[in-house]
Amino acid sequence: MRFSSNNRKVLETFYKNFYYLVSLLLFSILILRLFQLQIIHGKRYFVQSEKNRIRAITLKPLRGRIFDRNGEMLVGNQPAYSVYATPYELQSWQGIYTHLANILKIPEDELKTIVKKHQQGKFNPVKLKRQVNFETLSRINEERLDLPGVGFWIESKRFYPSSARVAHVLGYLGEVSPDELEKFKGEGYRYGDVIGKQGVERQYEKLLRGQFGYEFVEVDALGREVRKVEEQKPIAPKPGMDLYLTIDVDIQTLAESLLGSRKGSLVLLNVRNGEVLCLVSKPDFDPSVFAGIITEKQWDYFQNHPNHPLYNRAIQSTYPPGSTYKLVLAIAALESGVITPEWSISCSGRFRFGTRNFKCWKSRGHGVVNLYQAIEQSCNVYFYQLSLKTGLSRWADFGRKLGFGRKTGIDIGMESEGVVPDEAYLDSHYGKGQWTEGMLLNLAVGQGDLLVTPLQMAQLAMILANYGKYFRPHVVKRIYEPVTRKEIPIKVDSSQVQGVSHRVYEIVRQGMWLVVNGASGTGRAAALQDIAVAGKTGTAQNPHGDDHAWFIGFAPFDFPRVAIVVMVENGGSGGAVAAPIARQILQEYFRKYPVKLPEKMAISLPVE
Amino acid sequence: MLDEFDLKKKFKYFDFSVFFSMILLIGIGIAAIYSATYSSGSAAHLNYQRQILWAGLGLIVFAVIVFTPMRFFLAFAYVFYGVAIASLLLVLVIGQKGSGAQRWLGLGFLHFQPSEWAKLATIFVIARLFTDCRDWLRQKYIIALVFAVVLLPMLLIFKQPDLGTALVFAPFIPSLLFWGGVSPMVLFSIFVPFLTMIASFNFYTFFALMIIIVMVLILSKRELWYLLVNILLNIAVGIVTPFLWHSLQEYQQKRVLTFLGLVTDPKGASYQLIQSKVAIGSGGLWGKGFLQGTQTQLRFLPEQHTDFIFSVIAEEAGFIGGMIVIVLFAIIILRGIKIAASARSQFSSLVAIGMITLLLYHVFVNIGMVMGIMPVTGLPLPLVSYGGSSMLVSMAAVAFLINISKRRYEY
Repeated sequence: MRFSSNNRKVLETFYKNFYYLVSLLLFSILILRLFQLQIIHGKRYFVQSEKNRIRAITLKPLRGRIFDRNGEMLVGNQPAYSVYATPYELQSWQGIYTHLANILKIPEDELKTIVKKHQQGKFNPVKLKRQVNFETLSRINEERLDLPGVGFWIESKRFYPSSARVAHVLGYLGEVSPDELEKFKGEGYRYGDVIGKQGVERQYEKLLRGQFGYEFVEVDALGREVRKVEEQKPIAPKPGMDLYLTIDVDIQTLAESLLGSRKGSLVLLNVRNGEVLCLVSKPDFDPSVFAGIITEKQWDYFQNHPNHPLYNRAIQSTYPPGSTYKLVLAIAALESGVITPEWSISCSGRFRFGTRNFKCWKSRGHGVVNLYQAIEQSCNVYFYQLSLKTGLSRWADFGRKLGFGRKTGIDIGMESEGVVPDEAYLDSHYGKGQWTEGMLLNLAVGQGDLLVTPLQMAQLAMILANYGKYFRPHVVKRIYEPVTRKEIPIKVDSSQVQGVSHRVYEIVRQGMWLVVNGASGTGRAAALQDIAVAGKTGTAQNPHGDDHAWFIGFAPFDFPRVAIVVMVENGGSGGAVAAPIARQILQEYFRKYPVKLPEKMAISLPVE
Repeated sequence: MLDEFDLKKKFKYFDFSVFFSMILLIGIGIAAIYSATYSSGSAAHLNYQRQILWAGLGLIVFAVIVFTPMRFFLAFAYVFYGVAIASLLLVLVIGQKGSGAQRWLGLGFLHFQPSEWAKLATIFVIARLFTDCRDWLRQKYIIALVFAVVLLPMLLIFKQPDLGTALVFAPFIPSLLFWGGVSPMVLFSIFVPFLTMIASFNFYTFFALMIIIVMVLILSKRELWYLLVNILLNIAVGIVTPFLWHSLQEYQQKRVLTFLGLVTDPKGASYQLIQSKVAIGSGGLWGKGFLQGTQTQLRFLPEQHTDFIFSVIAEEAGFIGGMIVIVLFAIIILRGIKIAASARSQFSSLVAIGMITLLLYHVFVNIGMVMGIMPVTGLPLPLVSYGGSSMLVSMAAVAFLINISKRRYEY
């Protein structure tokens, strides 16, 4: 092959042998090394392998705290202890399940199911029980020699030092559900971890939670920690961010006590930036109940209570708005040019339409009223007639322009949209031609199929206060990053209502001023001594019981700062029930944040 | 001519010892992958099934290669090489990111690593170059050409960046040049200075190497000037290297060491190595038994079913199991050398030696790495480690040995 000389064979053998030699040399090195590791040092390594089991332990970050706008703590953290066990050790040791069942007071079968369901490999510890008491903890500590692989983690649980509950804004935490585990796959949640279930805790879960860290520990054959592994640096957990809410605890506390045992809700908005100064929904719940272990019975109570305490009435519940919604019709009529504010009718206490009599709330009638007086005295007959002049489609159109029928975008989540019925809606609900114009008369006074959330009404008050400009309502003012100590402000989106002129707002606002300050205003109970309040009352009939009491408003009239909505379910008349509550809230607000002199003297201008 | 239909004759020279060694190694590999991913609790525990699929596909490739005449590969050597270089370039341009480096080309449902096929193509092209430059006087050119065809894919793979795989190409140069008949003294002059560079960091090793060099040179009975030039060159290299090295800043030294693959993430690598050594050592003579390796089942090694598969075998099957794997590889390599020596053409002979170089390098570097005597470079163990590309290429390498052995008396 290679050479044609006669010493070819010799050379060929030389080459072959050289390669044999090199190969054998290399294989010998491998075999000698293997012999050295396994036979000479085998015993030593075996002992080491029995001793050295390195485990990555998840380090939970401290969840971010929540403060009110002035830095008063609403939610903090407190240590809590959870018991875990390693499946490998549970399998290899006789009687350990029985022993554990006895200590944790969980039936043995249930323990086995927990481990089977949630184990991730044989060596990753599984959490058996959260928030065990000190007695259990000390028993586990004392009997740890009989409980290989069992230990406890120091975790944290929420605590609520504030006098205000703020329940529906804060929300609560709960154990992560199988659905959530699937949804947030890859974000490090494990069985037994907690996750925000409602409110800010849910909406800002990612920021509040922080990032998991890891630590590498050597454990012995029994699963007990021997030492930290120095070769592998631990990855420190990143604590969650603190949230500063827009809520003012003092006003919130007052609002909670004012609503007391009534059902209803109250929202106070800063009209200049959309900050929610207080948000109450009653009945509420004590959030600290959810910080502990919720029993089946407690959960049942919250879930099945007829008054639904977990429900955030301010944003989730929808109601007929009653007379407060007359403002929308007034805007629609004025903007469409069907009337001027001087257009008057004579109210005799009822209005005959077709074969039906539509009543005014005042059976004696209001006499001759123009638009200002109709708003001031909330004359139904005026608005019945106005609705016929304006028409359903314009009315629905302006309702949507003013923010109804869609979410406000508040950062609490689970918000309802409400319903603004239009022709298409009524057609699909009642069938084409099956509904009459009488339905429009009902809608004109905020009854019938029209449904709004209290927050949407507060938003309407904000729009009127700002001549069409409005901000997305929000409850988080700023985010504090504890590691870099930086504050991240929240970006506030603002919008402007399209197609409503300044003049129209002026007219409607004038009517609202009369509601509170006029001689025969329905909302006089909301008036403050030295600050002009504008508003509108509402008394919404509902088929399930007494009327719902409504009041919406803003103040000060000339240079508005806040908008308010008070809604009391089955409370009775808006003027008698809701307006006085609004007054007290506004009074507290202006006591705490007094109007400065230059501002008082400022002329009425659209707020930037 | 061989009667194509006479099966008995057809398999007369089929090297069964190599074939069955290969099959056994694949089987051991599948069992080890099963064990390595057994307690992972994720989709990875189905990896052994995919490995079986790869082995099945490999057998088809194997059969195709065994029954294809070598002259076909001779004819298409340049084409293969061209395609391999083109696909390496393609990887650099549009390659997918695979564990931090661009090594993979997406090809529908399967991804493949062009660098694996480039290994085979480079072997073919070197063997073809020897056939084309049979004229003894063109020896100088063959050295330059071999360097060129090896350095080109090395450079492209290094750019990916995958130093471990790039270095696989390096041993082709001395091994194939030597086997191809280039004068050993010429090779000596080329490669020994590199050895001197390494040895020069310790005076005693440098001194010992110098004595060996002088002795070899005297024994070669070459001209005096040749002798002197070689000795002076090596002494110069030996003095200059440490001087240059120490004039470098510490971070520069570190960069060079990292470049050479001598320092790769020291913390992570040492942690892996300690665990790997404990796994192997604790296996003892007989091992802990299938699926019983505590180190393995603990899943302390991130790559235990790929690069660190040998530590799984050594832990669970002990010294006996480790020896079986090494001996099976030794059978393939040693039989392969015999096949290369008795091949009927220079092309076949060089291809066989190329395949052996490829396999031996992988086996030594991989097993040496898991036992802590070679740097951690991330090379798979042929036929055993999990992975499709590696499986197909190593089965192809064995197929060429069997092909060449089968045809050694064909004329």
